[in-house]
Amino acid sequence: GKHVTAQKSKTGRLKNPFIRVEDTSRQYRPFYLQLPSFPFLNYSVPKPYSPFEVDKKYPSGQKQTQSKQRNKINSDKDCGMPAQLPQKDKKKRGYCECCGKKYEDLQTHLESERHQNFAQSTQYKVVDDIISKLVYEFVTYKDDTTKIRRTKCST
Amino acid sequence: METMLKSHRDEQHPHQAEDFHRKLEQNSKLSGMKKDIEKLYEAVPQLVNVFKIKEKIGEGTFSSVYLATAQLQTGFEEKMALKHLIPTSHPLRIAAELQCLTVAGGQDNVMGVKYCFRKNDHVVIVMPYLEHESFLDILNSLSFEEVREYMFNLFKALRRIHHFGIVHRDVKPSNFLYNRQLKKYALVDFGLAQGTPDTKIELLKTAHSEDQQESCLQNNPAVALGNGVSVSDTAPKQIQQSASKAADRRSSSLSKAQIKQGRGGKEDSVHHSVQRSVFGERNFNVYTSTYQENSCTKLIKQAKVIDVSSRKLVTKKKIISTKTVSNGAARKAASGCPLNLPCDCYATDRVCSVCLSRRQQVAPRAGTPGFRAPEVLTKCPTQTTAIDMWSAGIIFLSLLSGRYPFFKASDDLTALAQIMTVRGSRETIQAARTFGKSVVCTQVVPAQNLRTLCEKLRGTNNGCKRSRGEVPCGSENDSALPCAADKPCALETLGKQIQYQKSFQEGDGALEVKATDMKGWDQVPDEAYDLLDKLLDLNPATRITAKEALLHPFFKDIRL
Repeated sequence: GKHVTAQKSKTGRLKNPFIRVEDTSRQYRPFYLQLPSFPFLNYSVPKPYSPFEVDKKYPSGQKQTQSKQRNKINSDKDCGMPAQLPQKDKKKRGYCECCGKKYEDLQTHLESERHQNFAQSTQYKVVDDIISKLVYEFVTYKDDTTKIRRTKCST
Repeated sequence: METMLKSHRDEQHPHQAEDFHRKLEQNSKLSGMKKDIEKLYEAVPQLVNVFKIKEKIGEGTFSSVYLATAQLQTGFEEKMALKHLIPTSHPLRIAAELQCLTVAGGQDNVMGVKYCFRKNDHVVIVMPYLEHESFLDILNSLSFEEVREYMFNLFKALRRIHHFGIVHRDVKPSNFLYNRQLKKYALVDFGLAQGTPDTKIELLKTAHSEDQQESCLQNNPAVALGNGVSVSDTAPKQIQQSASKAADRRSSSLSKAQIKQGRGGKEDSVHHSVQRSVFGERNFNVYTSTYQENSCTKLIKQAKVIDVSSRKLVTKKKIISTKTVSNGAARKAASGCPLNLPCDCYATDRVCSVCLSRRQQVAPRAGTPGFRAPEVLTKCPTQTTAIDMWSAGIIFLSLLSGRYPFFKASDDLTALAQIMTVRGSRETIQAARTFGKSVVCTQVVPAQNLRTLCEKLRGTNNGCKRSRGEVPCGSENDSALPCAADKPCALETLGKQIQYQKSFQEGDGALEVKATDMKGWDQVPDEAYDLLDKLLDLNPATRITAKEALLHPFFKDIRL
């Protein structure tokens, strides 16, 4: 759903060049892209780079322009965003399928009561059922000297 | 490549290897890695007594992969890949991935599973480790015969999974491990896989029925919202908005074709640091090429748009057999949106408030943009195993042209435009009609002759050498040369290419060098481009299948 355009702000004729896609059932919202320029095969880009490599040709960032044109609403957000946020901040946010919940910090969410309840629930039986059919073929060391055989490896 | 180097050292000079290790440990990245390893041992303590975890070799949004050694009961010590799934993964998704590995894997170049460890929400899948090349590193050093073998082995893997009704959805070099020396191959990562309607993977069935998802969303607004707005806050607002709208629309949809957004958009939020592939080129161990720095950024850039909007998950418990029709209509009416009113914009250069107020069609689009088939890019709701064959075609295109990634697009319609420049706009538009899509494009671009295209891009076209009418002689060699003005990166690369050529010429007689240097690339048979044409068939219904591809004349008398 990246090509959604602002519902009200964008009506009328599309600016050249553009691509417009619509389901032939006409039941769904069309989606489109207006480009500053249509892509072309650039044979002078050195190997192994993509012949559509634009960054070198347009150092200011064609893509940003594109996304601005694609969606007015977001243009200020796009511009205001630093090109690269610190990895750690980004990595921690996400969506938990178990809880059906968005989280801001992975670790905090994992420790939350809701998630912990799920984590310790019987929901994982479907996983354990598959594990139970796998053949355990590793040597298990009790400590550095003793070898023991483990029979059950999931809890 | 770090891993590979190190593992070689391990075998040959253990002491050196340790020194090497110690030095690297001063590197902060590595100490972070160490911490990760400790955390993993902590999360799944059963691992402690079985594995020596050496290092993290891959990181994706949904998992991290570690290289470890373990003693087998047979007496041998073996290298293993430990895939630690993100603990937010739903058990059904985990189980489905495991089932793909256990049922379809372990044969015909499809990765199998050794074992799986779980403690609460932490699941670690143990797989045999296959040391592998970085696609980018070797791309331009492969002989033509190696390319033929590579593709043959990829099709073997695809035939295998398609036979089981698995659509992989993320076929790309980093998910197809290749050990050049051993001639070993492995298709990995079923984290995005979906089942065909008749899939033999039971757990892919549960995640398939669209009606179920509809009612699920309908009856559980919290879930619906959660699923739809799963985009992280750091993602561009645009995506979030569209995601939430999608969820909104989806929940009121009458269509069977509406597919859900599992952890939709999460990939977008982490684009700079991670890639879906967790056992592939995003691994920390694979960059040694002269292109390292540049290509690294590039690959990650390409990866950023990987999305998992269709990494859907339908849990049976949530399924309530409510019909969505009336609910949907009511909801629409309540929010004041007209429901599917006709307008005159269809197939024109216009959009209006009427058509723009319709619900958005949501179709699976998980994967990597440059590898998505036209029917994925245009949101065709019915997607088949043919989408994997398209992706295989893109890999083949990379191999034949020496370009990777071949398409470089941050969004679906830019990717479609790039496809048009290769396959033709008219042809693309015609094919799209066959799967129910009206495409309007202002640009009329002709289809390229695939041989000419690849030879020009590879720089192996000798102009008059071939007697093919459509290959124009003359300026082609010039155009294949990098024009380095105002391109610092290009200049750098050029310099290295020249160096490379020089070192070659100094070694042997120039003539001989030229012959060996061509590695079969001076006589690529027509069958190669015929197969490429059939893989990049814009019409998924007629696109070649994996089974058929293996029987294609291109693979006649392949030595394996």
